Amino acid sequence: MAKPVVRKPKKKTNPLKSAKIASIDYKDTALLRKFISDRGKIRARRVTGVSVQEQRKIAKAVKNAREMALLPYSSSAR
Amino acid sequence: MRQYELMVILDPEVEERTVAPSLDKYLSVITTEGGTVDKVDIWGRRRLAFDIAKKSEGIYAVVDFTATADTAKELDRQLGLNEVVLRTKILRTGVR
Repeated sequence: MAKPVVRKPKKKTNPLKSAKIASIDYKDTALLRKFISDRGKIRARRVTGVSVQEQRKIAKAVKNAREMALLPYSSSAR
Repeated sequence: MRQYELMVILDPEVEERTVAPSLDKYLSVITTEGGTVDKVDIWGRRRLAFDIAKKSEGIYAVVDFTATADTAKELDRQLGLNEVVLRTKILRTGVR
């Protein structure tokens, strides 16, 4: 019987910790842009590699930034 | 008293020189109701990520202030009535 391939998921380095960022601010668009795709969507946690709590704060910050037209809701740059 | 942070987007058609004095006028409600304006930071003209009221630019300003919840609410209401103000956001700072 074939042995199921056990894949070890590659542990991602936390980008916030390596950049030494303590608090997430919606005004810091340069930082938040790292967490949105080029279409303007928020990147999933499995892509970004941040903790649950941090992802929640990032999502909130991105949404606040969108309300103030600092980040796009969608950019149809295809 | 609580600490708040206000961000306003003003109409790009107003003169950039007149922004600071007119902003002081809008913020006078804070001081008259016993709060304090801690910091005013005018970012200046900036491109919007999308059009607001058919305008593709806006003058951004960020204000840190300390006031009661009622004062903050009243300030937001007054700014909303102002035609020059495109958008406002008041957030509490220093919590969580």
